[in-house]
Amino acid sequence: MTQAEGDKAPLDWPKAGDEIGPRDFGPFEQDALVRYAAVSGDDNPLHLDPEAAKAAGLAKPPVHGMLMLSCFEPFIMGWRNDLFIARLSAKFLRPVLAGEGIRLLGRVLRSRADPGPELILRLTACGPGGGLVILAEAAVLHRPQTG
Amino acid sequence: MTALDPVQDGAAGLVPEPGEAVRLPAIRVRIDPDEAAGFLRETGGTGTGDFVPLTFPFRWLALPEIRGLILQLIGEGFLPVHEAQSFVYEKSLRIGAEYVLSVEIFRKENPSRLTLKMTVSTGEGEICAHLETTLRLVRLSAGTPS
Repeated sequence: MTQAEGDKAPLDWPKAGDEIGPRDFGPFEQDALVRYAAVSGDDNPLHLDPEAAKAAGLAKPPVHGMLMLSCFEPFIMGWRNDLFIARLSAKFLRPVLAGEGIRLLGRVLRSRADPGPELILRLTACGPGGGLVILAEAAVLHRPQTG
Repeated sequence: MTALDPVQDGAAGLVPEPGEAVRLPAIRVRIDPDEAAGFLRETGGTGTGDFVPLTFPFRWLALPEIRGLILQLIGEGFLPVHEAQSFVYEKSLRIGAEYVLSVEIFRKENPSRLTLKMTVSTGEGEICAHLETTLRLVRLSAGTPS
């Protein structure tokens, strides 16, 4: 993603070490998994069929990793709405089961104001009990507000 | 789009040797406003649905052409567990716009993994986004996926 030429960081541009969140998403009940399967096309029985989950050794169907990862966009944009998420990469470390929620946290790893304001964010999602379930990193650019 | 479609005739002949990548023929898609709004609603987003959610392109993995090949490469007796995912955007996607998908899939063994790489371009060839999906393939009898 290229930025508008001459774009400068706003005065309140975040700096390395700034914290984001926490913000809670969910709990993701089984009907939410069914609805996500419908809109995403990810109808893997593991997420929808308790028997398939049991066959995989899980007490309940796990929440789609992509449903949880999708929460990072409103998380970041709820923090600042003048950003463009240019890159998001994540590893799914542990399952979160139907009926459970996640807590998202973030921290600014690196901040560049010029040329072209950019932030590198470390993002995490923790499940019940605080266990890390998603470890992610994002590169976000300043998007000047229009209108 | 969500049905368990059989492998397409065109993809059936593309099944590779282990470790060899398969590149699917280009696939044309259009971002339907209602589909984008529904996706936004179910993923914690807010707003009027006038933008394409960041993870929306993941939905295209369910297209019959792609899904059929994924299922074929996974094979019987394995459960796909999503292990890693990335999105890189060169340019925002737009509601109502048409795009061309270039897809490459390969399976590796020891441990078994399926990796899918997709590039989203405009009809004029301008690259908008890349995504990469890694699925760990767990034998159903092997125990608990993490």
